[in-house]
Amino acid sequence: MKALTIVAGVMLVFVFVWERVDVVRLGYQIERLKTQKVLLERERDQLQVKFSALTAPERIAKVATEKFGLVPPLQGQVLMVRAPEEVPSPPLPSVEQVRLARHISGGRVGE
Amino acid sequence: MTAGPSRGRRYVMLLLLLCGFGIILFRLVTLQVLQAAELTARADRQHQKTVSFEGARGMVSDRHGKVLAMNVEVPSVFGVPTSLESPSTVARTLSPVLNVRSAELERKLRQDKSFVWLARKVEPEQGRRLEQLSLDGIGVVMEGRRFYPKGPLLAHVLGFSGMDGQGLEGLERRYDSHLHGEKRVTVLQRDALGRTVFPKGLAEQVPTPGHSLTLTVDEVIQYIAEKELEEAVTHSRAKSGTVIVMEPRSGAILALAISPRFDPNVVAALTPDRWRNRALTDTYEPGSTMKIVVAAAALEEKVMTPDSLVFGENGRMVIANTTIHDHEKQGWMTFSEVIQKSSNIGTAKAGMALGEQRLYRYLQAFGFGQRTEIDLPGEVSGLLKGPKDWGRRSLASISMGQEVGVTPLQMVAAVATLANGGVMMKPYVVSEVRDEKGRLLKEVLPQVKRRVVSPDTARMMTTMLEGVVTNGTGAKGAIPGFRVAGKTGTAQKIDPRTGAYSSTQFVGSFVGFVPAEAPRLAMIVILDEPQGEAWGGTVAAPVFSRVGEQVLNYLGVSREDTVKIALAMKDN
Repeated sequence: MKALTIVAGVMLVFVFVWERVDVVRLGYQIERLKTQKVLLERERDQLQVKFSALTAPERIAKVATEKFGLVPPLQGQVLMVRAPEEVPSPPLPSVEQVRLARHISGGRVGE
Repeated sequence: MTAGPSRGRRYVMLLLLLCGFGIILFRLVTLQVLQAAELTARADRQHQKTVSFEGARGMVSDRHGKVLAMNVEVPSVFGVPTSLESPSTVARTLSPVLNVRSAELERKLRQDKSFVWLARKVEPEQGRRLEQLSLDGIGVVMEGRRFYPKGPLLAHVLGFSGMDGQGLEGLERRYDSHLHGEKRVTVLQRDALGRTVFPKGLAEQVPTPGHSLTLTVDEVIQYIAEKELEEAVTHSRAKSGTVIVMEPRSGAILALAISPRFDPNVVAALTPDRWRNRALTDTYEPGSTMKIVVAAAALEEKVMTPDSLVFGENGRMVIANTTIHDHEKQGWMTFSEVIQKSSNIGTAKAGMALGEQRLYRYLQAFGFGQRTEIDLPGEVSGLLKGPKDWGRRSLASISMGQEVGVTPLQMVAAVATLANGGVMMKPYVVSEVRDEKGRLLKEVLPQVKRRVVSPDTARMMTTMLEGVVTNGTGAKGAIPGFRVAGKTGTAQKIDPRTGAYSSTQFVGSFVGFVPAEAPRLAMIVILDEPQGEAWGGTVAAPVFSRVGEQVLNYLGVSREDTVKIALAMKDN
């Protein structure tokens, strides 16, 4: 009985020490992960700024005109069409129907 | 064997032990009681680290969530001069990395200080290169830097923030209390090697970031307005220019462009003159665009109808010993033609028919002489004297847009009132404020200020203003396929040297709305001191046309469906 008590006491001490060590180990792990999170967030923010700068209308217009030789659409070159899911049955509308519909919806195609 | 010496030794031993324990006790009392506070503080300093955190400044985005301003953590470089052996060598090594003159760096590093900033908020790449150099006595810390990724786009509205993250201009200043992040001091535990072991109150470490703003502005519409304005200012060699695009039904500002532009990422070398938001802070004499207000008041008060006949006095009329001229000799004309041809004499007669009190009442009702209360800093109320301060010619002068100072924003808000059926809306640029988790804290809804004129008067004015574009001075404001209502203005500026109206300095403007039958946009274009041709119809109206056409295309508005909307509104 006495021996059992001693063993139990030693076990308790061992569990206590192990738990303390584990807490410290987990503390270090949390710190590492937190540092990693900060670095990733920083990288995300830098990429967000880069993305925003690259998608600025001014830059896109410059690339479109200077690199690809595009020009702004002229009057009549922007057409409105009804979105596909809103197109009433039956199957394919006639050309006249498309011309009428193109002015109604918010969809847009180039010609 | 005797007991004497043995007892004596025992006493000596006991005495020594007592002395020993006494010394220990004394030392314990000294350490634990007398020096307890000081030693505890010293121990805390060794195994605790106090760190000050500041939450990131909130983001600003346009109506579609496109980022216009945000914070990014970037490196700041510091030196510890007292630990440097050769400041000149370190300065020479750092100079090409930081793009700072070697002599300047050396001067800082030779100071008798334990800490000096060498370069704050540099590019991440520079920080990485410094870390690779691994120089003793040189360190890098991360600080939040404000970025405006679109460069000069919307700069006069966004404003900018200072080195320490405080809002200094524009929305950054107006909404600083929302945008700035929370400041918090946290205590961290350190081990023998100085590493952070486990923070006290883990959840409390991260301070709350600032709130984010969503604007009513659309970055594409803003780009179109800025691009066309820049071209017009360059082409006309004007001193400056302004374009405001507003949604008449809500009062939401879709674009606010000022020329010359500036880049809020680089403001150190600029003067306030460059970043001032002239659309709200500067007043000008509106000239003929003010005739819109006089005509609306005359129709509302029924002193005129669109078909009333007015005699143009053959282009010359004497009032209070001064002569008013029209740029063309006019005889009898309808009131609609008075506005179409922008007759000074015809409008002055309408103003006189209204009388001082009524005209003043309508000028106030249309928002002149008072702030629009837009959510931007620096707005002025303009200049509108009360009738008791008017001279004998004031009634005629004010009817022609003289003796009154207005801001571009006031003028576009007044015209938007007619586009909105006679109801004035409060202009605004921020539509939503959200917290760091995206939860809505504040939603700004369109706010009616007052009804200024009846829907009938607004309709009559719309028809008359359409006539200005189809048959009058605003022909160049026309947009093919759309009905445009608008008015030109060409105002002489006061020459500061003579105090009289200048014959060479003008403000050319055009204000209107489109499509006239179901307005989606109200817009004003102002060019300050254009050289050569200075008529509003020549320099400003074409900008209205180009911006209007592109924006209507972008919004997907076409003439046919606009007509359908108008019919639907009529049916309702």
